[in-house]
Amino acid sequence: MTGFLAKRLLQAVFVVFVVTLLVSWAVRMTGDPALMLIQGAGSVTEQDLINIRQGLGLNKPFVQQYFSFISALMHGDFGRSFLGGTSVTLLIGDALPATLALTFCSLFLSLLLSIPLGIQAAVHKGGWSDQLIRIVSLVGLSFPNFWLAIMLVLVFSIAIPIFPPSGMDGLSSLVLPAITMGIILTATNVRLVRTTMLETLSAQYITVARSKGLRERVVLYKHALRNCAIPLITFIGLQFGSLIGGIVVVEKVFNWPGLGTLAFDAISGRDYPVLQSTVTVLALLIVTVNLLTDILYGLVDPRVRIK
Amino acid sequence: MIRFKQVVLASLLSLAAAFTPTSHAAGTLSIAASAGDPGSWDPIDTFLVTWGGVGSQIYDGLTMRTADMKLVPGLATSWEMLDKDSRIRFKLRQNVKFHNGEPFNADAVKFTFDRLLGPEGAKGAQQSNYNAIKEVKVIDPFTVDFLLSRADPVLLTKLAGYGGMIVPPKYVTEKGEEFFNANPVGTGPFKFVDYKPKVSLTLARNADYWDGAPKLDGLVYRFITEPATQVAELQAGRLDIATTIPTSMLDVVAKDAKLKVESINGPVTLALRFNTKEGITKDVNVRKALVIAVDRATIVKQILGGNAEQVASFQGKLSFGFDPALKSLPFDPAGAKKLLQAAGVPAGAAVQIDFRGPDSNFREVAQAIAGYLQAVGIKANLKGYETSVLLNDIIPNGKTGEMWQNQWGGWTFDYDNTAYAMYHSGQRWNPYDKDAALDKLLDSQRDTYDQQARQKTLREIAQYVSDQALEMPLYSLNTIYGINKRVQNLTLPADGRFRFINESIQ
Amino acid sequence: MSEQVSAGVRRGISLELALGALLTGGLFALVVLSGSVFPDEGMGMDLAARLQKPFQSWMHMLGTDPLGRDVLARVAVGGRVSLTVGLVSVAGASALGILIGLIAGYYRGVWELILMRCADIQLALPFILIAITFISILGGGLFNIIFFMIISQWVQYARLVRGLVLTLREREFIVAARAIGVGDFLIIWRHLLPHLRGPIIVLMTLNIAHNILLESSLTFLGLGVDPATPSWGGMLADGRNYLQTAWWVSVFPGLAIMSCVLGLNLLGDWLRDKTDPTSQH
Repeated sequence: MTGFLAKRLLQAVFVVFVVTLLVSWAVRMTGDPALMLIQGAGSVTEQDLINIRQGLGLNKPFVQQYFSFISALMHGDFGRSFLGGTSVTLLIGDALPATLALTFCSLFLSLLLSIPLGIQAAVHKGGWSDQLIRIVSLVGLSFPNFWLAIMLVLVFSIAIPIFPPSGMDGLSSLVLPAITMGIILTATNVRLVRTTMLETLSAQYITVARSKGLRERVVLYKHALRNCAIPLITFIGLQFGSLIGGIVVVEKVFNWPGLGTLAFDAISGRDYPVLQSTVTVLALLIVTVNLLTDILYGLVDPRVRIK
Repeated sequence: MIRFKQVVLASLLSLAAAFTPTSHAAGTLSIAASAGDPGSWDPIDTFLVTWGGVGSQIYDGLTMRTADMKLVPGLATSWEMLDKDSRIRFKLRQNVKFHNGEPFNADAVKFTFDRLLGPEGAKGAQQSNYNAIKEVKVIDPFTVDFLLSRADPVLLTKLAGYGGMIVPPKYVTEKGEEFFNANPVGTGPFKFVDYKPKVSLTLARNADYWDGAPKLDGLVYRFITEPATQVAELQAGRLDIATTIPTSMLDVVAKDAKLKVESINGPVTLALRFNTKEGITKDVNVRKALVIAVDRATIVKQILGGNAEQVASFQGKLSFGFDPALKSLPFDPAGAKKLLQAAGVPAGAAVQIDFRGPDSNFREVAQAIAGYLQAVGIKANLKGYETSVLLNDIIPNGKTGEMWQNQWGGWTFDYDNTAYAMYHSGQRWNPYDKDAALDKLLDSQRDTYDQQARQKTLREIAQYVSDQALEMPLYSLNTIYGINKRVQNLTLPADGRFRFINESIQ
Repeated sequence: MSEQVSAGVRRGISLELALGALLTGGLFALVVLSGSVFPDEGMGMDLAARLQKPFQSWMHMLGTDPLGRDVLARVAVGGRVSLTVGLVSVAGASALGILIGLIAGYYRGVWELILMRCADIQLALPFILIAITFISILGGGLFNIIFFMIISQWVQYARLVRGLVLTLREREFIVAARAIGVGDFLIIWRHLLPHLRGPIIVLMTLNIAHNILLESSLTFLGLGVDPATPSWGGMLADGRNYLQTAWWVSVFPGLAIMSCVLGLNLLGDWLRDKTDPTSQH
């Protein structure tokens, strides 16, 4: 088991290393941040640009810049933003909880909806409720997420002013973004719950439980559902990357001050330190979740460990 | 499964505590800062338009500009030009204090400009604007001399903004640069309260302000870049002033009973600049043809709904150097076809128009232009770029298509600032042209303080540019604000820099 | 009880197929025929006829957009971009992915190692962030979007194929064929590929749908195709500001995206049921 763990850990570190390298390199290709800072200035000489670049540490070779980034990272220092010198650690410290909050709320909401719905569909397989749930879930999957967001704002923020249309300002501001992500997540998860439940329900021990005279509710939620948990969690773990991808867009529409908005602004502002760090943190997040998922999977299914 | 739910619930509750809704005092006005968070509140660090709007609340400059763009005394009560214009003597205002109690005096001015022109300033973007200043000398506690290395007719206007705003010496030296970035102190009508990066900046009234305390209790700047989001917040009553409203959403705001729209002539000008080196736009006759193929007047009327004014040169009405006698080229698609034929341009020839992707107003305008060009047999492709990429890489490095969206803030309201940057050879906004005659004209008006002579030359420049069809001038865009009616006595500045002295909340 | 279930199952399957085929087929037809039905290709601008309401005249059945162009024409022509992006990106990604997956699964060794590491990296970098980073250097446009989708998505096919090949290669008929001395290429071509067809086609169908959604997101973020060319995502972005005053400008392209994606998802679902004998449908 420890061999498996060590191997997976090593792989994870390797991935993060490659990802940060790729992003650092790509980000420097997007152009010269010194030019960004003088945007709109009257008459800037080449010397001014050189001075600015020097101040930002940009004239050192790429490898050197990359290694100073990584070593600072090890000490928990994410560097300084090019736009104003704000500590990037501070920026990420503010943005990370916001993204996590949105992620967890969306996941939570989707579980709240998809579990009962999935069970309903499985239990009434072939019936009209099953069909309805399956088709509605497909519709949910087919929504462009930003469009859904805009429509929700239109209805629940402007037409009927209940929730704020943007920003992170109190619990009510979490609702619309979480619902947007939640609906799409529910659509995917419902089908998984349904499929897993179907497999479980036909298993022996369920028949045994039923024949023991246990109430259906107990059979479903205590026994069958427990079996669903692992596949569901591993599925969510594997989907985490695209979940983050979706969250970036939703954050943008709602002006939600999370890592997505931070990264996006950093890209258009050529703010290398912020961009590098944000993508690193996001990659770390995803890799961690994948790692945990794999470990969980390995715990449950010994065959995986041996490979 | 149940344990998982409990954990999630617990973490949610703790996170909920983390985002306590911000409650504002009743007299607090919230305004959108659409250009985004500049990241630092230090005057020497940035050029972002947002900074200017906010900076005027926290800081003052030696001079100030009123809402109708007139230059008036600020922290300097008077000034005079000495020694054949190589020295400016400023008399400073007395009994002014910084927000932390430090006194404002000549030392503060000297400290500010030494810092701006020195190594600290070199790291930032503002220094290049003020390098006509050689040295600042303290004459007595309320008199300073600015020694100039060369003439700069726009210097006095520049002292009203951004880099030239006065900072407190003791505070900056004691607290250090980094702390100052996030905790600014100045002499302005509002003082700093709280800064949430990328989210908001909160200010409170400075009751001791030298020009009279503002009526508002406080100000909140919210960093909202998406125009549609600004409008949504406005409608939801969570924003009092929206600063970027796409013309397409004006009706929405106007229809809302608690909101109103104010549209004032602003300094922002737009044009389609031509690539004079490559493509079919090399030929001046082709360029003229492209210009007259487009019905600019109708575009301004129908798409921008009268929130813009057509211009004949790359400046607005209020700009110094504006020539009311200069007329736009007419709309003449038949004439355009003839010119194109004479120039040997085949039907279906392609041009590429580069523009700022996120700009929803210009998206529509560009599509309309493409439509007109198609009617004369030119196939226009539109290429949207991230604004920063377009402005800092594509244009200066000459990687554009045949035409590109040229947009200029013109915050000094002086055509010199614009024209020099746009048409002089070697300038980053002019990647293709090298015209000695035009250079001469541009240089000549820079070295004199004689406003009459300058105006004449600037008008000549505009005429030259028009004759050479270096661009397709489009329009000057109004600055459009969406306002919650509960705000009283609002003075609307054309350059987006509010002075919230008289405003109050109902 | 089991008869009811199987009857229901049959009904369920055919409903998916019917709806899926209808939506997908209908939209594909509309798009393919758009050239002949709408000769002006949705570009006919008429600034005097801006923002006309839908269902008012036969000339503009779905109304007009902010430049006076016919919405129905633009929806039909706009589909070309989305479908091209969807089909070409998936064709490219699957071709590349199948090739690498076959090699990795069959020969294992270093190829497998490379593939698995690429897969890990691909998982960690969400497509949106890659797209934003690289597309902001290179600009948007049809080619770039398709290119980055291919780069980002070939891994899915490779993993799928590799996994399937791994299970298949130990099966008796393959072992037997190898023992006889049948060449690798023939084994792959005649014995392995037929078994892979099903899952691959399902993945392709679902990915076409997903990529159409991605393209509209990219265009919404301003990184997509040329705004002069009609595209569903572009129309949604253009229409965003008109949601409250001229809803039809964005609702109809949005419905087009949804219907197309839904149709493809339904088809993909039905195909999955059909080709996967172990699934519980």
